[in-house]
Amino acid sequence: MIVYFRLAIFVVPIGCTVLSCGRNMQQREEKQLDASVESLVTRVAHLKGSLQSFIYKLENEYDRLTWPSVLDNFALLSGQLNTINKLLRNEKTPSYKSLVIIPLLLSPDRDEELAKLTEQRVPVFSHEIVPDHLRTKPDPEVEEQEKQLSAEAARIGPEAAQKQIQTLNKLCSNLLEKLNNPRDDRDSETSALRQNKPSFNLADTNALVAAVGFGKNLSKCRPPGSVAPGHTGQAMTSAGPTMQQVTIAGAAGHQPGMSGQVTQQQPGQPGKMPSNIKTNIKSASMHPYNR
Amino acid sequence: MEAPPVTVMPVTGGAINMMEYLLQGSVLDQSLESLLHRLRGLCDDMEPESFADHELVYLLRGQQGNPFILRARRSLLKPTSPWHLRYLGQPEVGDKSRHALVRNCVDVAASHSLPDFLNEMGFRMDHEFAAKGHLFRKGQMKIVVSKLSRVHVPGNLENTEPLSLSYLVELSVLAPAGQDTVSEDMKSFAEQLKPLVHLEKIDPKRLM
Repeated sequence: MIVYFRLAIFVVPIGCTVLSCGRNMQQREEKQLDASVESLVTRVAHLKGSLQSFIYKLENEYDRLTWPSVLDNFALLSGQLNTINKLLRNEKTPSYKSLVIIPLLLSPDRDEELAKLTEQRVPVFSHEIVPDHLRTKPDPEVEEQEKQLSAEAARIGPEAAQKQIQTLNKLCSNLLEKLNNPRDDRDSETSALRQNKPSFNLADTNALVAAVGFGKNLSKCRPPGSVAPGHTGQAMTSAGPTMQQVTIAGAAGHQPGMSGQVTQQQPGQPGKMPSNIKTNIKSASMHPYNR
Repeated sequence: MEAPPVTVMPVTGGAINMMEYLLQGSVLDQSLESLLHRLRGLCDDMEPESFADHELVYLLRGQQGNPFILRARRSLLKPTSPWHLRYLGQPEVGDKSRHALVRNCVDVAASHSLPDFLNEMGFRMDHEFAAKGHLFRKGQMKIVVSKLSRVHVPGNLENTEPLSLSYLVELSVLAPAGQDTVSEDMKSFAEQLKPLVHLEKIDPKRLM
């Protein structure tokens, strides 16, 4: 696209002329050429304008830009490129490949007209800018890639190529169909898939909430003998019995013995517990989860 | 010795009463990865924090009434951090249409002598468990995905056994009393986690 872009700007300026290979450059063909170049120039000018506004938007309003508007801009650009392509393919357009642009006059002086025409981008039509602006070959890297691609294409052979084209078309149409179909169709099949693999278990939820809420299934008291002796690091172990006395004395009107259902957690102290304490002994292996 | 409900207490100044709004659910181990991916996308942009905590629940039984419950929690990954002591009140039974469980919540940090202190005060450790998992945040909301494990030998956290094959998922917000828009936000967030997890208001008393 860049090549054509530059071609359009420079077909008009002074200092160049168009030289035809054929001897019989009739008026009609000349007129055709002029007309097609005119329309090409206008189309490219449109494209340039939309590119400019898009770049401006990206640079200055990037924080307010939404993805749909960016997509709109891209769609506009793609549409404009399409029209340019159509124009070039039009039968009324003469083949530009047979036309050559030769600069007739190169000067290192600043050319005001040229500068005005190109919006100050090319002030001088000199030896430096001509190879860039009048180039018709693509960049060397692009040329390399194109060569590789065409070699690969030639290598495959026409039948294989045709088959590949058909597969691609089939894939695209499948995808389009899936995307275009109403959402309910999709949802029903995906929900059927998901029912086979539930991701949570209600019983587990309840068990976990109960465990966190009030310690269900978390051992409340150690059965005697299953505890490793020697938790002397905890202050309460040696003061165990006396601690009970302290709490009882604090409550009004209680006998020294424990009353009611007091659940005591006394690790490492099974032997020292007074016998008239009721304890809840829950077996630690009582859980529904076999692992 | 249960604290009276928040609405009855006179407002005499001091700290604002914070309420915890809670929604709970669970996710099976095999679906944990998908849940973490989804949460990573939905939540605030920061690496999810892993944690490993040991929680001890202390009870103070008076001669009548329900026991007073305090929860002491310490981090196993950062042993030098202070302990976290939390009081959670009874869930407020008010509005049936409120989407989250609301209860009074008081949090304080405490030094490492907390277990001894509580024992001296007369509290007894009722049960303990280890919780290991990930913590996510979205604005005010905190999402905790944790695996609860039973501690066989008290004090010994090497030998723990997971309680179930699921991870507990809790969505909570700490806010001053009276802000009901919070539960609306929580509900809409919970919607986004369906059908992986169903976060709902579960009353622990129902499960007793």
